[in-house]
Amino acid sequence: MNRIALNLLGAAALAVTTGSAMAQDKVIKIGLAQDFTAVYTFVTSDYNQGQRDYFTLINERGGIKGHKIQAEVVDTANQPQRGIEAYERMKNEGAVLVDFLSTPVSRAVVPRALKDQVNMLTLFHGRSDAADGETFPYIFPMTPLYWSQATNILQYIKEQEKGNLKGKKIALVGIDSPFGREPQPIFQALAEKEGYELGIYPYPSPGNEQSATWTAVRRFQPDWTVIWGAGGGQTVSLREAIRNGIKLDRLLSVIWLSEVDTEIAGKEASKGVLRFEGAAYGKDAAVIKAIETEVVAKGKGAGPAAKVGSTYYNIGVAGAALVAEGIRLALEKNPNGPLTGAQLKAGLESIKDFDAQGLIPPVTITAKDHQGGGKGRISQWDGSKWVPKTDWYAASQDLVWELVRKNAEEFKTSGK
Amino acid sequence: MDIYFLLELAVNGVLIGLMYTLVALGIVLIFKSSGIANLAQGALAMAGAYIAWALLTLAGVPLWIAVPLSLIAMFFIGAGIERVALRPMIGQPVIMVIMLTLGLEILLRGLVPAIFGSVVKRLDLGIPQAPVIIGPMLINTAYLVSGGVALGLVLLSMLFFGTRIGTVLRAVSDDQTASWSVGISVERAIGLSWGMAGVAAASGGILWGSVQGVDWTLSLLLLKALAVAILGGLDSIFGVLIAGMILGVLESVIPAYLDPYVGGGSRDVVASMVILLTVIFRPHGLFGREDIERV
Amino acid sequence: MFYRLSGIKHVSYAADRQLWPVPFDRYLVIAAVILGITAPFYLSPLYLGSYMLPWIIWATAALSLNLLMGWAGQIHLGFAAVMAIGAYSAIHLARAGVPFELALLLAGLLSALIGMIFGAAALRVKGLYLAVSTLAMQYMIDWIISHVPAISGGSQATLQTPVIRILGFPVDSDAGRYWVALAVCALVTIFMLNVKRTSFGRALVAVREKDFAAAIIGVNPFYYKLVAFWVSSFLGGVSGAVLAFCYYRAVTPEQFHLDVSIQAVAMVIVGGMGSILGSFFGAALVLLAPIVLNNFVGWFVAAIGLSLSPEVLALIPLILYGGLIVGFLLFEPLGLAKIYDNIRNYFLVWPFRHARR
Repeated sequence: MNRIALNLLGAAALAVTTGSAMAQDKVIKIGLAQDFTAVYTFVTSDYNQGQRDYFTLINERGGIKGHKIQAEVVDTANQPQRGIEAYERMKNEGAVLVDFLSTPVSRAVVPRALKDQVNMLTLFHGRSDAADGETFPYIFPMTPLYWSQATNILQYIKEQEKGNLKGKKIALVGIDSPFGREPQPIFQALAEKEGYELGIYPYPSPGNEQSATWTAVRRFQPDWTVIWGAGGGQTVSLREAIRNGIKLDRLLSVIWLSEVDTEIAGKEASKGVLRFEGAAYGKDAAVIKAIETEVVAKGKGAGPAAKVGSTYYNIGVAGAALVAEGIRLALEKNPNGPLTGAQLKAGLESIKDFDAQGLIPPVTITAKDHQGGGKGRISQWDGSKWVPKTDWYAASQDLVWELVRKNAEEFKTSGK
Repeated sequence: MDIYFLLELAVNGVLIGLMYTLVALGIVLIFKSSGIANLAQGALAMAGAYIAWALLTLAGVPLWIAVPLSLIAMFFIGAGIERVALRPMIGQPVIMVIMLTLGLEILLRGLVPAIFGSVVKRLDLGIPQAPVIIGPMLINTAYLVSGGVALGLVLLSMLFFGTRIGTVLRAVSDDQTASWSVGISVERAIGLSWGMAGVAAASGGILWGSVQGVDWTLSLLLLKALAVAILGGLDSIFGVLIAGMILGVLESVIPAYLDPYVGGGSRDVVASMVILLTVIFRPHGLFGREDIERV
Repeated sequence: MFYRLSGIKHVSYAADRQLWPVPFDRYLVIAAVILGITAPFYLSPLYLGSYMLPWIIWATAALSLNLLMGWAGQIHLGFAAVMAIGAYSAIHLARAGVPFELALLLAGLLSALIGMIFGAAALRVKGLYLAVSTLAMQYMIDWIISHVPAISGGSQATLQTPVIRILGFPVDSDAGRYWVALAVCALVTIFMLNVKRTSFGRALVAVREKDFAAAIIGVNPFYYKLVAFWVSSFLGGVSGAVLAFCYYRAVTPEQFHLDVSIQAVAMVIVGGMGSILGSFFGAALVLLAPIVLNNFVGWFVAAIGLSLSPEVLALIPLILYGGLIVGFLLFEPLGLAKIYDNIRNYFLVWPFRHARR
């Protein structure tokens, strides 16, 4: 009896909560079950705000071919079990695409999403080998993988050194987690090829104390330093680099470095630091301007107006734009709907040279390639904003794909 | 590797260890007075840093007022927690009380960021970024200042135990029933120790927050503080002072030499190793008092 | 009225020692068992897969931990690490071709072996020191798992579980996995019900109350503490493996972090220390509360027309969760089981309240 009582209680609460979401008829449901409270707090609220503002923009303009996009937001606290619960519930409500913005949660849900034919957006997180669309048909990174970011960064260094890296010293300072270790194979492979000396300096997660690591880095006397972390760890890395006299215009970061970090480390003090960029910073892109005038100015913004145009906000907009583009293409083929997961997959896989009005590099997704080219650029902090240093470009994609295939192969042979 | 490398690591380690000591001090104070381990100490440190940030940034209070003000606030929060949550638990098994403090930790970790926002905040204490350079060594200025402040506070609390109120606290830690019978208000003494623990946690949190930015990760200081408290002996303030420095040095030096062999990140387990080894070989810590149990 | 006591007379020792002397309790148990077994037929896949299944598994884990905390009185803040050992060893064994049933047992044995090391610490210390050293163990095992690629599964640090095979038949449906989990849960529950009335169970209780006193009456506390750790870790390892195989189906190190240990302890405390029914209640509340609260708070805020940022919204369940633990410890330290017991006691003599002793 007790079991049912509890079950009914939960059922009642859930029925109440889900009932409100079924008003309109032509809606496309998207689940944003993200981590607002645990590890990804540094990015989630901005990112999520960007996503929702973009969907609002689309809906304000009348939706996509008469379909409105409805995004449900829920917190997972980075816990796989809450992610799985949210995923199952959203799937039941007819969500055709989910975005967890959490590597552990997406990894745990991958087998289910593949089986249920629900698309999963893994923008700058999740399994890197998911770029292999044949092994992971429903998983869509659609942005440069960490491996591509590594090759991009090394390409930039190589160009600055006039094409010759022989005898140079490059330090890779990263968080000690699967994420922080991910670029290591690329750095090692290219070290062999280009002949630079590589020093790897991990610091413990979550990285709020790194002084000992940086003492060792300083003594290595690197020509170039690459920092590979996220959240609070990046701030500390930046401060320690400044303190240890690392030249900031020779310090590059993975995508997770934003104006929040430079502000904490000191806006002036962190002048010159470089980072990989996957979506343009600021309000220059047409789509961000449109959000400002059509959404935020009308008081329909999903969060503080000051965040519009910030780094992670724009990444959120980029993700939402890619999804919307996929939906548009899918609806072109199936105008009547309701859109299924498989149709949206086909839509996403026919995205061609889409750049979200200048926000992101042109992305082309195919059934084989879910990364979309791996293009990014390097930008520099000038004391008040991020200034692009290069055009969008990709580098050593053959090396990246070698790793993608190797890992995807492992998944295939051992996964099932 | 050469001696200066080791020395620089050791010096920075000592300074970091002093900051750990500050947070651990709260655990010791509470344990001394009531025999309870406060697992909410990490969240208290976080709360203190958040309050200081709010006063500085949101309320625009000048630094020299904001910091004392937040310490005072944390004193009352600490004492308030004791009054509301801990006092009704007197007489319950230790497991229950430990779990209660863990529950408090979770509660505060949600409540404080919900009030002030969970994005990393900048807390500027006006400490210059430029390092202090001694010969070939770079000493982190923020650590130097923080370590100094921490040392001062710990020494101050040692002196405090010589005063009248300090004597009362010592009496309570020695024997609660006996102190009761000579007219000491045991409840007030325990409340006072919680208040002081709040202050210690807050000062630790503010110093750390100025180094790494303020967000919920400050509550992770708990494990380090526990390691320090266990190693030093849970009822010895002098013990945590020494243990803090030992842990700081170990955490700096061990990874630098070990990491290349184990593939990184061994710093993470140093605190855990210290706890385990202490518990196995010297459960009452370096300077703790071994107590005799009776049936 | 419901719990009719009249006519219950014990004429043999066996009858006196039976688990549920009151007929109405027996009917309740039978009803719960039937409802449990037939759940896949009347519950939608969503409720079965995301609420019922994890609840059953977590209840198993809470029961295993309750043996240690509730009966033997040893605090354990590293239970997720024990479960992780079970999960990882079961997966690696199953991938190497060991049959699922055997892999489950071996996983339990390995967890028990390593869990004994936790127990070894308990021989030296207790209470607070034990809490802290199990906490340290949790960190160490987390670290080892994520730093040895051979365990965690290469650079992506994810392992897919193979399909479960029971006696050679593949089990690859939600209902099938649920029944596997339910079977394990039933076995553990039956074991726990019986531990209560063996000399082993009574020895554990003696150790919990005061280990020196237990030693004086001839119960060897060292031995029983170790055995308690052994049994509890064995069951914990098995439930960890079931969690991985039946529920997650893909294992990452994050699934067994410290937060999960705290969750397990919270289940035991909220449910009621030393109570079997309480473990089920506790698992339900701790597991489902954040989920239900999450959905409910979002709905409620929208319903009253308030607009809170999702950031604050997301933190509310965490606050309530912490508040729940604190609240229970303050106001009902014996947990949900005690609340149930109060209700039962009320109905035991209802409507003749004056007849209560």
